[in-house]
Amino acid sequence: MDVTYPGAVPPERHRMLTSLGLRLHVAEWGDPQAEPLLLLHGFYDHVHAFDLLAPLLAQRFRVVAYDARGHGESEWPDAYAWQADVLDAVNVLRDLGPSVCVVGHSRGGGLATDMAAFFPDPVRKLVVLDGFGPPPLTHANFFQQRRLRRATSEQLGEWLDWRRSVASRRNFQPAASYDELARRRQVQNPRLSLEWLRYFAAHGSRKVKGGFAWSFDPLASRPIGPFRPEWAAPGWRRLRAPMLAVIGSEPDTWGPLPEEILAERLSHAPVVTRATVQGAGHFMHIEKPRETAQLILDFLAERT
Amino acid sequence: MIRLTSGRHAVALESLREGPGPTLLCLHALRGRGVDYAPLAPVWAGRVLALDFSGHGASDRPRGAGYTPELLVGDADAALAHAGGEVCVVGAGIGAYVALLLAGARPQQVRVAYLLPGAGLEGSGALPRTHLDGEALRVEVTALLEAAAQRTAGPCDPMLRLLDNDPRPPDYARAFADSAQRLLLAEDGELRPPWWEAVREAAAALRGPADPRAGLAQLRASVD
Repeated sequence: MDVTYPGAVPPERHRMLTSLGLRLHVAEWGDPQAEPLLLLHGFYDHVHAFDLLAPLLAQRFRVVAYDARGHGESEWPDAYAWQADVLDAVNVLRDLGPSVCVVGHSRGGGLATDMAAFFPDPVRKLVVLDGFGPPPLTHANFFQQRRLRRATSEQLGEWLDWRRSVASRRNFQPAASYDELARRRQVQNPRLSLEWLRYFAAHGSRKVKGGFAWSFDPLASRPIGPFRPEWAAPGWRRLRAPMLAVIGSEPDTWGPLPEEILAERLSHAPVVTRATVQGAGHFMHIEKPRETAQLILDFLAERT
Repeated sequence: MIRLTSGRHAVALESLREGPGPTLLCLHALRGRGVDYAPLAPVWAGRVLALDFSGHGASDRPRGAGYTPELLVGDADAALAHAGGEVCVVGAGIGAYVALLLAGARPQQVRVAYLLPGAGLEGSGALPRTHLDGEALRVEVTALLEAAAQRTAGPCDPMLRLLDNDPRPPDYARAFADSAQRLLLAEDGELRPPWWEAVREAAAALRGPADPRAGLAQLRASVD
């Protein structure tokens, strides 16, 4: 891959791991004999989202990231369920041994927390980068507004129509170049630079008829079901691992949650340390990789 | 037997009875199959179609095991498209829940759904499985991981375990009951999951016979 970005180091090793019959792409940085540290990326992302953070953590850890089902180089399933994603995370965790530190960003943070609550024993410490569940419906963002206006039963009807049409699609609308992919993504994440997004696109898209498309399953883009934002936290009381809860200081598309909501959610976890990365938004590990890595390394080095 | 595309995989649809008259679509309970309805088919004057849900009977086990009740609604929707026009639906257990969601999401095509008790979602309440703890949690996780490793074993997919207690809040079910044309609930006085209790209060819901044979006869007479 000829597209580079200052400080970005692609993974040194790659392999596939089978979970629930699906092949997941696993990537690693650092000494294979060092203590394992598992990274979980966010929605629409892939392992290269950690190309800035992972090399800094790899000075002390064997850093392992995997592409969630339907993302990056992992296979696409026939259908999506949150519990299946949680079991994928458990399967990767079990592959790494009896004691693993875990870091998750955004959706990957929610996944990491649910995994650690569901399968607590091997998780030594847990770091969540602005991944504390969706905002409550009273604070609906623009992704939820459309949903809120329509009746629940209508939404399912539309989802059924959409499913009939999308299941056979192999790609989203292709873009002519990495630049165009980057510009499209910047509409959703305006704090990320075009230079970074071009790097991210070059490492997370494939050549298709008519240009380039993100390596992301269109079928994964529209979750359905009765999930409620207030369900995000009650299971966290089962966590054994201490949690470092990190947000960025700057308001951004997907975070941070209003403080009173975040505090209520975090009150369900037994042991929590809070931290804020100054001058960064939702993607603090991309905007401020050094500061974010230092917070993580300090927290993981603390005795408990 | 016909194979229908449901999303990316295929499900099996069996015709249990042919003939003029309204179409009845049969949705089985968790770990059941379409032919479970064979003894009831003679009650219905008209075409009777019975679906095997994903992971059951002659249907595919979806790659990656992403089981949700909404996936099964997608299966039923494929059968609805195949049947064409209006249909009556009968469902048991999780099949009853799927019939309810289909009746609410496709009110123009589902004239009436008859809901029978049965397996699936019995453990479902208004919240996710946060009540599991300690040893009970370890047992559940171990069972799921074993199921995940043996997906080709047995008469149906072991990963269907995910559907035993998927959380199903009552007000979600109620939203579908309110937009359905008509619902008939088999009532025998037994305690049902919270979602069922919520459906009972909807204007579209009538109480019907607990005996499925009597209920189908009543339904058939009412749609002539």
